[in-house]
Amino acid sequence: MPNPTRANDGSHIPEKSMFFEKFIPALLILMGVLMVALIVFAAGVLLGIIHF
Amino acid sequence: MSINQIFPFISTALMLGFTIYVLQRFFVRRAPNFLFWGIGLAMFGAGSFAEAYLSLAWNRWIFFVWYLFGAALNAAWIGHGTLYLLVRKPWVHGVTVLLVLGSLFAGTLMLNAMPKLDAGAFTISKPVSEQYGTKVLEAGQTLPTGAQTTTTTYRGQQVTVVRGLLPLGSPVRLTTPFFNIYGLLTLVGGAIYSAFLFWRKRVLPNRVIGNVLIAAGALLIGSASTLTRLGYGQFLYLAELLSAILMFAGFRYAARPQPTDAPQSVAVAAD
Repeated sequence: MPNPTRANDGSHIPEKSMFFEKFIPALLILMGVLMVALIVFAAGVLLGIIHF
Repeated sequence: MSINQIFPFISTALMLGFTIYVLQRFFVRRAPNFLFWGIGLAMFGAGSFAEAYLSLAWNRWIFFVWYLFGAALNAAWIGHGTLYLLVRKPWVHGVTVLLVLGSLFAGTLMLNAMPKLDAGAFTISKPVSEQYGTKVLEAGQTLPTGAQTTTTTYRGQQVTVVRGLLPLGSPVRLTTPFFNIYGLLTLVGGAIYSAFLFWRKRVLPNRVIGNVLIAAGALLIGSASTLTRLGYGQFLYLAELLSAILMFAGFRYAARPQPTDAPQSVAVAAD
């Protein structure tokens, strides 16, 4: 049985929260993709493929 | 002075406060992650100050600070702090040695480039990020607005170049992508990984949000710097300020005191 005080004590992610269920995972994926894009860009500069 | 020129001064003040806050934690806890974060943030602040100064006047040593600390090293040093936090293995000390030696090497290359700086190419009308590099003007390429060109010999060939502060083919410029790739992987990747770890375990929402803010702040300045070097520099100073705010807020948020029943094995990963 879930502990009724757990969700509100700040130590656990609230259940059925749209913010944590949808927004945060989408943001993490988006940021991961952007990070990879920036790394590829920097690698392109390093290899001389992108003139910078 | 325009509002756009005031932003870097605000960023500098904010980064100074952030640096002091982090270094205070290092002196209390003696954890290496705080030391590297503090050094990296000090470099970020020095880079912001140099950028602010160079929006008003030219000084070659301020440019030295801007390039070495602001453009090349800071992300790698902040990110290395995150590596110390996430990976408690002896090989991290080896990476520290590489980072220090690599930074000294980059500093030496930058010192060697100093007598060759083309100060005549400098203008306060655009960010230093848009004018630091000398670029070959390819056939059919449109000359950027306000750019000055000259002809020079490069690798045995006569080429037309868009004048920049650092001469064409400066070796120090080759070091920057290494530091920035390492900084992106460790700072942004580390924050995303930490956020994911807490999110998956359904614990410590403040650390999920704090790490998301840190990653977003680092990505914002990384993206704005890239866009600036592609000729879209109008948002750079604002992005730098927002980045400083996001990272400071993220750090403060993630570091908030935890409820006593928080699982310690997970809590330590973003302490």
